[in-house]
Formats: sequence, C-alpha cells, structure tokens
Amino acid sequence: MTNGMNQASESGDDRRRDFESEALPHLDALYGLALRLTAGDEARSEDLVQDAVLKAWRSWDRFAIGTNCRAWLMTILRNTFINQYRRDSSRPHPVDFDEISEGPGAGRLYDADPEGRVFDRLVNEHVVSAIQELPDEFRVPIVLADIEGLGYQEVAYTLGIPVGTVKSRLFRGRKRLQTRLHRFAEEMGYLP
Amino acid sequence: MSDETRGGAGTREAAPEELSCEESLALVYEYLDGELPQDWNDAVRRHVEKCRLCYPYFDFERMFLDYVHEAGQGTARASPELERRIRDLISGESEA
Repeated sequence: MTNGMNQASESGDDRRRDFESEALPHLDALYGLALRLTAGDEARSEDLVQDAVLKAWRSWDRFAIGTNCRAWLMTILRNTFINQYRRDSSRPHPVDFDEISEGPGAGRLYDADPEGRVFDRLVNEHVVSAIQELPDEFRVPIVLADIEGLGYQEVAYTLGIPVGTVKSRLFRGRKRLQTRLHRFAEEMGYLP
Repeated sequence: MSDETRGGAGTREAAPEELSCEESLALVYEYLDGELPQDWNDAVRRHVEKCRLCYPYFDFERMFLDYVHEAGQGTARASPELERRIRDLISGESEA
C-alpha cells in the first residue's frame, strides 16, 4: 500500500478509474502537442503520447488531485520528447544554427502587408505546415514559447540552452515563419 | 545572476527615459513576450505609443504572435486505437 498523496487506501481498480477519468480526456491535447514537437510525425507522436501517459500512470500516486492534470501531463510529454531529442541530437550537427542569417527575405511580410490582413485570410493549416518545415532548432522553441506559452527561462531550462540562445532562436524562427507565410500569401493571392 | 545569457531583470542596467527606434525595435519580441523588466517595458511602451514608425510594426508583430498562438494549436485528435492501446497497457500494469 502506498502512502503517497493520492488516495493511498484506494483499491487498484478505483485508482485506475480515477487516473483514466482525469488523464485520458487530455489525449487529444497531448497528441496535438506531440505532433507539433515532432513536425507532424503521427507514428512518433502516438508513441510519445503512450510513453508519457504510462509515465504519468506510474507516478500517479505523486499527482495531487485538484491540481492541473493537463499541465502535468503536458510537462511529462514535453520532457519525454526532450530526452529523446537530446539523445538523438547529441551528435554534432553539421550546421551551426546560431550562425545562420535569415537573409534578405526577412521582414518582407510586414513590408507587403503592414496591417497584417493576411493573418485573417491564411488558414490554420498554413501556419501548422510553416512551423513543421522549420528545423528542430527553431521549431521546438517556437512550439514551447509561442504555442504552449512557456516563458524564456522555462524554454531554456527545458532545452538545456542559455536564455540568450532561446531569444535568438525565437527571433530567427519567427522571421523564417514570416518569410514562409509571405510566400503562402503570395501564392494564394492574399497580399494587398 | 551576473551571467548575461540568463537575461531578465537582474542583468540589465536601468532603462533610460527615452529610447530610440533602433533600441525599441531590438526589444520588440522581449517586449511582446512580456520578458522585459518593468522599467524597460515602460520605456519601450512610452516610445512605441508616440512613434508613428514603431507603433504599426509592433502592432503587426503582436498580430503575428497571436496568429501563431491561435492557429498553431491545431485540431488533431488522438485515434481511438491509441486510447484503447493505452487503456490496455494501464490495466496490464495494474494487474501485474
């Protein structure tokens, strides 16, 4: 019998039912986050969700009922992804992403459409695919900061990189996104 | 907190009363992300509110970030098979 915070005296079945009713409603949110982190890799995203939920189940006794279960699960999934990502990216990358300039295309979306009317006309799929096309080094900080709403310090801590690097990756990643959205908008004839 | 790369309130000197356009533009994302110390945040706001060049640009970047945040959420659904597999694994582990 466990003496954790979470209904220590429950039977195994009750414990499982509690977990399922608290955690499983968040599967869509977890899967969405996994897709964003893996650039839309469905099989890898399913594995990631499965790993994260099982980890959560194994530490369910340490979860305090009444606190934010969704945030707790999202953090577990994020950390699971980051652990794999660090392992996979421990070999040196041939390109130093902090040295890449965004080139002359950056800033053109603002020049072409300073009122940002294009944001009302592009559909969500455009931004989703523009984000998926970013290299991991830019995509992951953007997903964490711009979509999940983490602060710079949290992103830096999660990724194990300095805050200054988070700032420059966000800057470069956002400029790349704007360049890509500019191209989508041009293709669709959406620019004023 | 002397490490510059940590950023944040402890590492910047006090904000000047007036910022130039260039100084404000360099801080656009930190400002919009709410990551500036209060005095720098106020200094950027003072500049942007009265600058007819910076104001529309900051507004554009804010719309861009809002758009990425909203549109980037996506509408993906976990498959019923994934849910079933997870339920099976959990009951497998609870019986073990």
